[in-house]
Amino acid sequence: MTGDTQPSGRILDARLHLLDHQVLDRDDVPVMVVGDLELEDAEPGGPAPYVTSLVTGPVLGARIFGGRAPASRWQRLPWRLVADVGVVIKIAADAESLDLAWVERWVRDQVIARIPGGRHGP
Amino acid sequence: MIVSDLLDLRAETTDGETVGWTVDARLVLDGPLDGPLARPRLVGLVVSPHTRTSFLGFERAQVPAPWLIARPLRRLHRGTFLVRWEDIARLPLPAERRDPDRRSAVVLRAGYGRHDPRL
Amino acid sequence: MNRLLGVALGILTAIGGFLDAGDLVTNAVVGSRFGLSLAWVVGLGIVGICVFAHMSGKVAAVSGRATFEVIRERLGPRAAGLNLVASLAVTVLTLIAEVGGIALALQLASSVDHRLWVPVAALAVWLVLWRVKFKVMENVTGLLGLTLIGFAVAVFLLGPDWGELAAGLAPSVPANESTTTYWYYAVALFGAAMTPYEVFFFSSGGVEEKWTVRDLATSRLNVLIGFPLGGFLSVAIAACAAIVLLPRGIAVDSMAQLVLPVAQAGGMLLVAVVIVGIAAATFGAALETALSTGYTLAQYLGWSWGKFRRPAHAARFHLSMIVALVVAVAVLATNVDPVAVTEYSVVFSAVALPLTYLPILVVANDPEYMGEHTNGRALNAVGSVYLVVLTVVALAAVPLMIVTRAGS
Repeated sequence: MTGDTQPSGRILDARLHLLDHQVLDRDDVPVMVVGDLELEDAEPGGPAPYVTSLVTGPVLGARIFGGRAPASRWQRLPWRLVADVGVVIKIAADAESLDLAWVERWVRDQVIARIPGGRHGP
Repeated sequence: MIVSDLLDLRAETTDGETVGWTVDARLVLDGPLDGPLARPRLVGLVVSPHTRTSFLGFERAQVPAPWLIARPLRRLHRGTFLVRWEDIARLPLPAERRDPDRRSAVVLRAGYGRHDPRL
Repeated sequence: MNRLLGVALGILTAIGGFLDAGDLVTNAVVGSRFGLSLAWVVGLGIVGICVFAHMSGKVAAVSGRATFEVIRERLGPRAAGLNLVASLAVTVLTLIAEVGGIALALQLASSVDHRLWVPVAALAVWLVLWRVKFKVMENVTGLLGLTLIGFAVAVFLLGPDWGELAAGLAPSVPANESTTTYWYYAVALFGAAMTPYEVFFFSSGGVEEKWTVRDLATSRLNVLIGFPLGGFLSVAIAACAAIVLLPRGIAVDSMAQLVLPVAQAGGMLLVAVVIVGIAAATFGAALETALSTGYTLAQYLGWSWGKFRRPAHAARFHLSMIVALVVAVAVLATNVDPVAVTEYSVVFSAVALPLTYLPILVVANDPEYMGEHTNGRALNAVGSVYLVVLTVVALAAVPLMIVTRAGS
């Protein structure tokens, strides 16, 4: 093995530090769990690709059962929103403002908020 | 491309000799600033010669405890190395990965380097 | 002083909160058939739940991560998904048993048929989940559950031959039972003491109450004093059954038989006290299991969760608890016997244990999560021994169930 080849900058291993980690918004509200990472398309021999977004949604099923979810159904969280990567991944945005929060919004508006007391704290 | 397109693949040399399985993708935050952080760049793949399972992170973090778990996992992952992006000659297309009949593998360039996988 | 009071309250709720329908029924059944010859399993289970609840509480306090988040992170989506399915199945099965248990306790108190009490019990559970603060919920059910001390009182009032009772503690298979049946009930008792939902609830509760490193000592005291005292009550229940029911050849198969020894020892007053305890313990456990279904799903899938949030701010979390309760009522409406459901749920929980405890043990050693609070050598040694025990028990559970035809 050859030594001292680690490039500068913080090192993250996709599986160890990103995949399946919880994403929290700026108020610590859970947003999603990282299902996959989207990279630029790249050919071996060319320049190395960059990560463009964190992905959730049907990619989870693909990782469990095999196969590959079509790109049209990936729910993306762009990397530019990521503020910190630690034990959890923090983003600099409100969960509420994201497209991928639509299921949570739908359940809230159609079911939970309609039950008396649903909008009040316990 | 998504990162799971690169994981759990067989890695072979240009001669078709299997050298292991890709268990993780190594990223480095050294790209242009993209929001609060730098953009992560794919610098290479972590290849384990003996097993295709990677879990618990023991193989690369230097956590010795508990011995009962750390010891066998470390043994299973002995000889794990990092292959740099420049040493990758060919990646399987997504369609190839779904087709079990085709030989989908990452092909490593002749004379590829085996680098220390530790973080 | 205030702090001391808080610690005392925590310990008391841990005692009351430890016991659920699984512990009540299994201990009584075992006591009536095997005397105290399986009490050692309760001890083994108590040490195990202490070790893992302590670790999961520590991870929650230091890193703010609840158990199922850690499970998905460490095992990946496939193995964690398998664990999710198994844990949910066991937790919902336990929820069914607990809701049925509340209904049976209410039947004992009111003589109204338990099937009529089921929807009432489920609605009451939901209302508490919907509107009551976490801390209040935990303290009230825990403190009322303490009245199960009535079982320990009953043991004294029955005035057994203590020497004989103590001699019965030695592990031995009674003449009229087979060895496989003995081991089947050993697995059931172990599963009843170490049910996975207890760590899901304990660690998520730590996050609900916003524990930090400063709460570590409190968490440790709650576990190390509260759970063993809860285990002591478990043995008292078995002892009651061993003293009164075993000599007469009565095997427990209903809630009413559970309180029979108490009635003989202390009359109606003590029975009333114990029924309050059974109702509170099963009600508390119904809350914990319902919450655990929400916690596990939300943590695996990354939803917003927690009772500290308004229901509208944790919509899918609350919806999944509602669905779990509806399932429980629907299953109980088919006229299944809640006592039988309980017996199955404790055995299946033994199967689901290793996949839950392995990631906790690993993360409790990871300095990225724990900083300077990683496990010491002693804790790791005990944790590793238990991992082996858990694996053996998990592998043995289903074969034993088939061979003994579920202990019959």
